[in-house]
Amino acid sequence: MKAPAEGTLRGVGTFLATFGIGVATYIAIAESGGGSPVCVAGGHGCQTVAESSYSHLLGVNIAIFGIFGYVLLLAAALLRGDLARMTGFAIALVGFGYSLYLTYLEVFTIEAICQWCVASAVLMTLLFATNSLRMLAYVGTEP
Amino acid sequence: MNERQGGADERRQNLIKLASAVAFIAVAVVVVLIVVSQNQGSDSGGDSSDLDGIAEVKQELAGIPQNGMVLGEPGAKVTVLEFADLQCPVCKGYSEEVLPQIVENQVRSGEAKLSFRNFVIIDEQSIPAGAAAIAAGKQGRGWNFVELFYRNQGAERSGYVTDEFLTAIAEGAGVPDIDKWNRDRESKAILGEVAASTREAQELGFNGTPSFAMEGPGAEGTEALGTPESAGALESAISSAAG
Repeated sequence: MKAPAEGTLRGVGTFLATFGIGVATYIAIAESGGGSPVCVAGGHGCQTVAESSYSHLLGVNIAIFGIFGYVLLLAAALLRGDLARMTGFAIALVGFGYSLYLTYLEVFTIEAICQWCVASAVLMTLLFATNSLRMLAYVGTEP
Repeated sequence: MNERQGGADERRQNLIKLASAVAFIAVAVVVVLIVVSQNQGSDSGGDSSDLDGIAEVKQELAGIPQNGMVLGEPGAKVTVLEFADLQCPVCKGYSEEVLPQIVENQVRSGEAKLSFRNFVIIDEQSIPAGAAAIAAGKQGRGWNFVELFYRNQGAERSGYVTDEFLTAIAEGAGVPDIDKWNRDRESKAILGEVAASTREAQELGFNGTPSFAMEGPGAEGTEALGTPESAGALESAISSAAG
């Protein structure tokens, strides 16, 4: 099966990373000062997850790491060449792996689902797929 | 032409190998992050034989009257209602970083009094924890209990809120009659207080802890404030409520 054109993959990556920056920024702002994101369908899932100790890593809100990751993924999508392909793949893999772990925590440890965190996990999964495809299909080729 | 193509293929193969190494490093980074996260989550705290902060809490609250879960002069013009969950790490942070300034400036001076109200948010273990605090309050040690609990707080849902942990906190807080405290904390009346204050917080529109509300001559009834970002913001709200 032929891979989509690299320009298409970069466009999709740009869209997803921009969306991700928005989601992570909302979570970070909502949780600053002890609040929590508002679950669209109501319920206390977002609040419970925000109150959890797992919402912070080394004292820093996970959403801040998310913003940083999405910004790097946006830069990788906007840039051409092998370095951008490799960086996008590596960051997306880290983001995807940690998102899997966070989703596991939500379901089995915290026992609450935050829709914004799920949205971020879905975006990271799609970004991992996009960046993996870009790297495998186009690394070593002319930009 | 073929030589050029061969060179390009070789370069591509090398880059794919490099990508494999990058993937390996990326997975290692994820594993390290998970280990760090798990280590901070497994800090279950609450070692009943080695409580932290007993002397600091005693010093912070020394000389300030306590009546039930209210800290401060009964005649203070402003009442600051704090809706909090003893298992909530943000409440712990607030208790250690924001409230000491309020206690020292506004409460000790008699300008305001602080009323602790349980807002059960983390899980059902917050109910016996909150009831234990109220029972300590019946013996004039409610705020000592709350502050000492925060200083020894473990990770939520790690099961650290045991009878042994609560008893250690009560003893560390200086509750004089532990048998009475044990009877009180299991009474329907006190468990009902925990449920009632949780409902009150919800009726005030709060959805996170800690949340604050003000009562005073400058406030309209019980005025919901939310979560002020700093001690300064809380001090300003107290001044406004004082009229």
